[in-house]
Amino acid sequence: MGSTLGLGIGIAALGCGIGLGLIGNGALQGMSRQPEAIGKLQVAMLIALAFVELVFLLSVFVVPGAVAGK
Amino acid sequence: MGQLLLTSTSMLAEAGAEGSVEHTASYNAIHLFFTLTILLVVMFGLMAWGKTGFSDRVFKKRITSCFEQLYLFIDNMCVGTVGPHGRKYVPMIMTFWMVIFTGNVLALFMPYSPTANLSFNVGMALISIFYVQFEGMRANGVLGHFKHFAGPKLAWPMIPITLMIFVIELISELMKNVSLSLRLYGNIHGGHAAVEAMNKLGSPLYLPLGEFLLPIKVLTCVVQAMIFTLLTCVYLSLVTHHAEEEAAHPTGVAVAH
Repeated sequence: MGSTLGLGIGIAALGCGIGLGLIGNGALQGMSRQPEAIGKLQVAMLIALAFVELVFLLSVFVVPGAVAGK
Repeated sequence: MGQLLLTSTSMLAEAGAEGSVEHTASYNAIHLFFTLTILLVVMFGLMAWGKTGFSDRVFKKRITSCFEQLYLFIDNMCVGTVGPHGRKYVPMIMTFWMVIFTGNVLALFMPYSPTANLSFNVGMALISIFYVQFEGMRANGVLGHFKHFAGPKLAWPMIPITLMIFVIELISELMKNVSLSLRLYGNIHGGHAAVEAMNKLGSPLYLPLGEFLLPIKVLTCVVQAMIFTLLTCVYLSLVTHHAEEEAAHPTGVAVAH
Protein backbone atom coordinates (compact mmCIF):
# COMPACT_ATOMS: atom_id res chain seq x y z
CA MET A 1 0.00 0.00 0.00
CA GLY A 2 2.70 2.47 0.99
CA SER A 3 4.83 1.84 -2.07
CA THR A 4 1.78 2.21 -4.32
CA LEU A 5 1.08 5.59 -2.76
CA GLY A 6 4.69 6.62 -3.28
CA LEU A 7 4.55 5.61 -6.91
CA GLY A 8 1.32 7.53 -7.40
CA ILE A 9 2.76 10.66 -5.84
CA GLY A 10 5.83 10.26 -8.01
CA ILE A 11 3.64 10.16 -11.11
CA ALA A 12 1.76 13.22 -9.85
CA ALA A 13 5.08 15.02 -9.35
CA LEU A 14 6.07 14.04 -12.90
CA GLY A 15 2.91 15.60 -14.34
CA CYS A 16 3.27 18.69 -12.16
CA GLY A 17 6.88 19.09 -13.27
CA ILE A 18 5.92 18.86 -16.93
CA GLY A 19 3.19 21.46 -16.41
CA LEU A 20 5.49 23.85 -14.56
CA GLY A 21 8.13 23.44 -17.26
CA LEU A 22 5.63 24.25 -19.99
CA ILE A 23 4.49 27.36 -18.13
CA GLY A 24 8.06 28.51 -17.58
CA ASN A 25 8.86 27.82 -21.22
CA GLY A 26 5.91 29.84 -22.47
CA ALA A 27 6.53 32.72 -20.09
CA LEU A 28 10.24 32.91 -20.93
CA GLN A 29 9.54 32.88 -24.65
CA GLY A 30 6.96 35.61 -24.23
CA MET A 31 9.31 37.68 -22.09
CA SER A 32 12.19 37.37 -24.53
CA ARG A 33 9.98 38.37 -27.44
CA GLN A 34 8.39 41.29 -25.65
CA PRO A 35 10.54 42.50 -22.76
CA GLU A 36 8.23 45.43 -22.00
CA ALA A 37 5.44 43.00 -21.04
CA ILE A 38 7.54 41.26 -18.38
CA GLY A 39 5.45 42.52 -15.47
CA LYS A 40 2.13 41.30 -16.83
CA LEU A 41 3.65 38.01 -17.98
CA GLN A 42 5.14 37.38 -14.56
CA VAL A 43 1.80 37.91 -12.87
CA ALA A 44 0.00 35.58 -15.27
CA MET A 45 2.81 33.04 -14.94
CA LEU A 46 2.60 33.07 -11.15
CA ILE A 47 -1.15 32.49 -11.24
CA ALA A 48 -0.74 29.58 -13.63
CA LEU A 49 2.08 28.15 -11.50
CA ALA A 50 -0.17 28.35 -8.46
CA PHE A 51 -2.92 26.41 -10.19
CA VAL A 52 -0.58 23.66 -11.37
CA GLU A 53 0.96 23.44 -7.93
CA LEU A 54 -2.45 23.11 -6.36
CA VAL A 55 -3.19 19.94 -8.30
CA PHE A 56 -0.04 18.36 -6.95
CA LEU A 57 -0.79 19.52 -3.41
CA LEU A 58 -4.29 18.08 -3.70
CA SER A 59 -2.84 14.74 -4.74
CA VAL A 60 -0.33 14.81 -1.89
CA PHE A 61 -2.67 15.86 0.92
CA VAL A 62 -6.07 14.54 -0.12
CA VAL A 63 -5.39 11.22 -1.82
CA PRO A 64 -3.49 9.54 1.07
CA GLY A 65 -6.29 10.55 3.42
CA ALA A 66 -8.93 9.21 1.05
CA VAL A 67 -7.04 5.93 0.64
CA ALA A 68 -6.53 5.55 4.39
CA GLY A 69 -10.18 6.37 5.08
CA LYS A 70 -11.40 3.53 2.86
CA MET B 1 -17.54 32.31 23.00
CA GLY B 2 -18.05 30.70 26.37
CA GLN B 3 -18.69 27.37 24.69
CA LEU B 4 -15.49 27.74 22.69
CA LEU B 5 -13.50 28.55 25.81
CA LEU B 6 -15.05 25.59 27.62
CA THR B 7 -14.25 23.23 24.75
CA SER B 8 -10.69 24.42 24.42
CA THR B 9 -9.99 24.18 28.15
CA SER B 10 -11.47 20.68 28.33
CA MET B 11 -9.36 19.72 25.32
CA LEU B 12 -6.29 21.09 27.08
CA ALA B 13 -7.14 19.14 30.21
CA GLU B 14 -7.58 15.92 28.25
CA ALA B 15 -4.29 16.47 26.43
CA GLY B 16 -2.53 17.08 29.73
CA ALA B 17 -4.02 13.93 31.22
CA GLU B 18 -3.09 11.69 28.32
CA GLY B 19 0.60 12.42 28.45
CA SER B 20 1.21 11.86 24.77
CA VAL B 21 -0.01 15.05 23.18
CA GLU B 22 1.49 14.74 19.76
CA HIS B 23 -0.82 15.30 16.77
CA THR B 24 -3.86 16.17 18.82
CA ALA B 25 -6.03 19.16 18.13
CA SER B 26 -5.08 20.95 21.33
CA TYR B 27 -1.39 20.47 20.65
CA ASN B 28 -1.85 22.18 17.32
CA ALA B 29 -4.00 24.87 18.94
CA ILE B 30 -1.32 25.73 21.50
CA HIS B 31 1.28 26.07 18.76
CA LEU B 32 -1.10 28.08 16.63
CA PHE B 33 -1.90 30.57 19.40
CA PHE B 34 1.74 30.83 20.47
CA THR B 35 3.03 31.50 16.97
CA LEU B 36 0.08 33.75 16.18
CA THR B 37 0.98 35.91 19.18
CA ILE B 38 4.57 36.14 17.98
CA LEU B 39 3.33 36.99 14.49
CA LEU B 40 1.09 39.80 15.73
CA VAL B 41 3.78 41.21 18.02
CA VAL B 42 6.35 41.21 15.20
CA MET B 43 3.94 42.66 12.66
CA PHE B 44 2.54 45.43 14.81
CA GLY B 45 5.98 46.13 16.24
CA LEU B 46 7.39 46.66 12.76
CA MET B 47 4.42 48.85 11.85
CA ALA B 48 4.84 50.93 15.01
CA TRP B 49 8.55 51.26 14.32
CA GLY B 50 7.78 52.40 10.82
CA LYS B 51 5.25 54.89 12.11
CA THR B 52 7.83 56.61 14.30
CA GLY B 53 9.61 57.68 11.11
CA PHE B 54 6.74 59.84 9.93
CA SER B 55 7.38 63.51 9.52
CA ASP B 56 5.62 66.33 7.76
CA ARG B 57 7.45 66.12 4.50
CA VAL B 58 10.05 63.35 4.51
CA PHE B 59 10.33 59.84 5.85
CA LYS B 60 13.10 59.96 8.39
CA LYS B 61 13.74 56.25 8.83
CA ARG B 62 14.68 53.52 6.44
CA ILE B 63 11.90 51.22 7.62
CA THR B 64 9.30 53.85 6.81
CA SER B 65 10.58 53.92 3.25
CA CYS B 66 10.39 50.12 3.20
CA PHE B 67 6.73 50.30 4.20
CA GLU B 68 6.17 52.91 1.52
CA GLN B 69 7.63 50.57 -1.07
CA LEU B 70 5.42 47.77 0.22
CA TYR B 71 2.38 50.03 -0.03
CA LEU B 72 3.30 51.01 -3.58
CA PHE B 73 3.75 47.34 -4.50
CA ILE B 74 0.32 46.40 -3.13
CA ASP B 75 -1.28 49.48 -4.66
CA ASN B 76 0.26 48.68 -8.02
CA MET B 77 -1.00 45.10 -7.78
CA CYS B 78 -4.55 46.17 -6.88
CA VAL B 79 -4.81 48.85 -9.52
CA GLY B 80 -3.15 46.69 -12.15
CA THR B 81 -5.37 43.67 -11.53
CA VAL B 82 -8.72 45.09 -10.46
CA GLY B 83 -8.69 48.31 -12.45
CA PRO B 84 -8.92 51.99 -11.57
CA HIS B 85 -11.38 51.34 -8.75
CA GLY B 86 -9.04 48.83 -7.15
CA ARG B 87 -7.43 51.31 -4.80
CA LYS B 88 -10.21 50.96 -2.24
CA TYR B 89 -9.30 47.28 -1.73
CA VAL B 90 -5.71 48.10 -0.72
CA PRO B 91 -6.25 47.92 3.09
CA MET B 92 -7.66 44.38 2.94
CA ILE B 93 -5.04 43.13 0.49
CA MET B 94 -2.27 44.77 2.51
CA THR B 95 -3.52 43.06 5.68
CA PHE B 96 -3.50 39.67 3.97
CA TRP B 97 -0.05 40.26 2.53
CA MET B 98 1.48 41.31 5.81
CA VAL B 99 -0.07 38.51 7.86
CA ILE B 100 0.90 35.83 5.35
CA PHE B 101 4.38 37.17 4.74
CA THR B 102 5.16 37.56 8.43
CA GLY B 103 3.80 34.09 9.08
CA ASN B 104 5.91 32.63 6.28
CA VAL B 105 9.06 34.34 7.52
CA LEU B 106 8.25 33.06 11.00
CA ALA B 107 8.12 29.58 9.49
CA LEU B 108 11.79 29.96 8.51
CA PHE B 109 12.84 30.31 12.15
CA MET B 110 10.36 28.14 13.99
CA PRO B 111 9.10 24.59 13.48
CA TYR B 112 5.52 25.89 13.61
CA SER B 113 3.87 28.84 12.06
CA PRO B 114 0.29 30.08 11.75
CA THR B 115 0.47 29.70 7.98
CA ALA B 116 1.62 26.09 8.38
CA ASN B 117 -1.69 25.35 10.08
CA LEU B 118 -4.61 24.37 7.88
CA SER B 119 -7.23 25.83 10.21
CA PHE B 120 -5.69 29.28 10.17
CA ASN B 121 -5.40 29.20 6.39
CA VAL B 122 -9.00 28.08 5.98
CA GLY B 123 -10.01 30.97 8.21
CA MET B 124 -8.10 33.45 6.09
CA ALA B 125 -9.46 31.98 2.87
CA LEU B 126 -13.02 32.20 4.25
CA ILE B 127 -12.47 35.86 5.12
CA SER B 128 -11.10 36.48 1.65
CA ILE B 129 -13.96 34.72 -0.16
CA PHE B 130 -16.69 36.33 1.93
CA TYR B 131 -15.06 39.72 1.42
CA VAL B 132 -15.11 39.10 -2.33
CA GLN B 133 -18.80 38.18 -2.20
CA PHE B 134 -19.55 41.25 -0.09
CA GLU B 135 -17.75 43.54 -2.49
CA GLY B 136 -19.53 41.90 -5.43
CA MET B 137 -22.88 42.56 -3.81
CA ARG B 138 -21.89 46.12 -3.04
CA ALA B 139 -20.79 46.74 -6.62
CA ASN B 140 -23.60 45.00 -8.52
CA GLY B 141 -26.39 44.69 -5.99
CA VAL B 142 -27.45 41.38 -4.45
CA LEU B 143 -29.52 40.25 -7.45
CA GLY B 144 -26.93 41.42 -9.92
CA HIS B 145 -24.26 39.52 -8.05
CA PHE B 146 -26.22 36.27 -8.23
CA LYS B 147 -27.11 36.94 -11.86
CA HIS B 148 -23.40 37.04 -12.50
CA PHE B 149 -23.23 33.42 -11.33
CA ALA B 150 -25.76 32.33 -13.94
CA GLY B 151 -23.52 33.16 -16.87
CA PRO B 152 -24.62 34.89 -20.07
CA LYS B 153 -28.27 35.55 -20.82
CA LEU B 154 -29.69 32.70 -22.92
CA ALA B 155 -33.03 32.07 -24.60
CA TRP B 156 -35.73 30.53 -22.41
CA PRO B 157 -35.36 26.91 -23.66
CA MET B 158 -31.83 26.99 -22.27
CA ILE B 159 -32.93 27.44 -18.64
CA PRO B 160 -31.54 24.02 -17.59
CA ILE B 161 -28.13 25.06 -18.89
CA THR B 162 -28.31 28.31 -16.94
CA LEU B 163 -29.19 26.33 -13.82
CA MET B 164 -26.24 24.01 -14.43
CA ILE B 165 -23.90 26.97 -14.88
CA PHE B 166 -25.24 28.43 -11.64
CA VAL B 167 -24.53 25.23 -9.72
CA ILE B 168 -21.07 24.87 -11.25
CA GLU B 169 -20.23 28.47 -10.38
CA LEU B 170 -21.34 27.89 -6.79
CA ILE B 171 -19.11 24.82 -6.57
CA SER B 172 -16.20 26.76 -8.01
CA GLU B 173 -16.75 29.47 -5.40
CA LEU B 174 -16.46 26.82 -2.70
CA MET B 175 -13.37 25.35 -4.36
CA LYS B 176 -11.70 28.76 -4.37
CA ASN B 177 -11.71 28.57 -0.60
CA VAL B 178 -10.14 25.11 -0.65
CA SER B 179 -7.56 26.11 -3.22
CA LEU B 180 -6.45 29.27 -1.40
CA SER B 181 -6.05 27.56 1.95
CA LEU B 182 -4.60 24.28 0.75
CA ARG B 183 -2.01 25.98 -1.45
CA LEU B 184 -0.61 28.04 1.40
CA TYR B 185 -0.74 25.16 3.84
CA GLY B 186 0.84 22.73 1.39
CA ASN B 187 3.70 25.05 0.55
CA ILE B 188 4.63 26.05 4.09
CA HIS B 189 3.94 22.72 5.76
CA GLY B 190 5.54 20.92 2.82
CA GLY B 191 8.64 23.07 3.26
CA HIS B 192 8.83 22.01 6.91
CA ALA B 193 8.37 18.36 5.97
CA ALA B 194 11.06 18.59 3.29
CA VAL B 195 13.55 20.19 5.71
CA GLU B 196 12.84 17.51 8.30
CA ALA B 197 13.35 14.76 5.73
CA MET B 198 16.65 16.26 4.57
CA ASN B 199 17.81 16.69 8.16
CA LYS B 200 17.06 13.02 8.76
CA LEU B 201 19.10 12.22 5.66
CA GLY B 202 22.12 14.08 7.02
CA SER B 203 21.76 13.08 10.66
CA PRO B 204 24.26 10.13 10.54
CA LEU B 205 26.95 12.62 9.52
CA TYR B 206 25.64 15.40 11.82
CA LEU B 207 25.05 17.59 8.79
CA PRO B 208 22.06 19.95 8.73
CA LEU B 209 21.26 19.26 5.11
CA GLY B 210 17.86 20.90 5.45
CA GLU B 211 19.61 24.22 5.68
CA PHE B 212 20.31 24.10 1.97
CA LEU B 213 16.59 24.39 1.31
CA LEU B 214 16.62 27.86 2.86
CA PRO B 215 16.87 29.85 -0.42
CA ILE B 216 13.88 28.14 -1.96
CA LYS B 217 11.94 28.58 1.28
CA VAL B 218 12.66 32.30 1.25
CA LEU B 219 11.42 32.40 -2.34
CA THR B 220 8.31 30.47 -1.30
CA CYS B 221 7.61 33.03 1.45
CA VAL B 222 7.35 35.92 -0.96
CA VAL B 223 5.66 34.00 -3.76
CA GLN B 224 2.97 32.45 -1.59
CA ALA B 225 2.09 35.75 0.06
CA MET B 226 1.93 37.31 -3.39
CA ILE B 227 -0.17 34.51 -4.88
CA PHE B 228 -2.77 34.63 -2.11
CA THR B 229 -3.21 38.38 -2.45
CA LEU B 230 -3.03 38.28 -6.23
CA LEU B 231 -5.74 35.64 -6.43
CA THR B 232 -7.90 37.67 -4.06
CA CYS B 233 -7.40 40.62 -6.42
CA VAL B 234 -8.31 38.49 -9.42
CA TYR B 235 -11.48 37.24 -7.73
CA LEU B 236 -12.34 40.83 -6.81
CA SER B 237 -11.84 41.96 -10.38
CA LEU B 238 -13.99 39.10 -11.70
CA VAL B 239 -16.81 40.01 -9.34
CA THR B 240 -16.74 43.80 -9.42
CA HIS B 241 -15.77 44.91 -12.91
CA HIS B 242 -18.98 44.18 -14.83
CA ALA B 243 -21.13 47.01 -13.53
CA GLU B 244 -18.31 49.51 -13.86
CA GLU B 245 -17.58 48.40 -17.41
CA GLU B 246 -21.22 48.66 -18.50
CA ALA B 247 -21.47 52.06 -16.89
CA ALA B 248 -18.24 53.24 -18.48
CA HIS B 249 -18.90 51.90 -21.96
CA PRO B 250 -21.55 54.37 -23.24
CA THR B 251 -19.51 57.36 -22.15
CA GLY B 252 -16.46 55.86 -23.85
CA VAL B 253 -18.46 55.55 -27.08
CA ALA B 254 -19.67 59.12 -26.73
CA VAL B 255 -16.14 60.37 -26.24
CA ALA B 256 -15.00 58.38 -29.26
CA HIS B 257 -17.70 59.96 -31.39
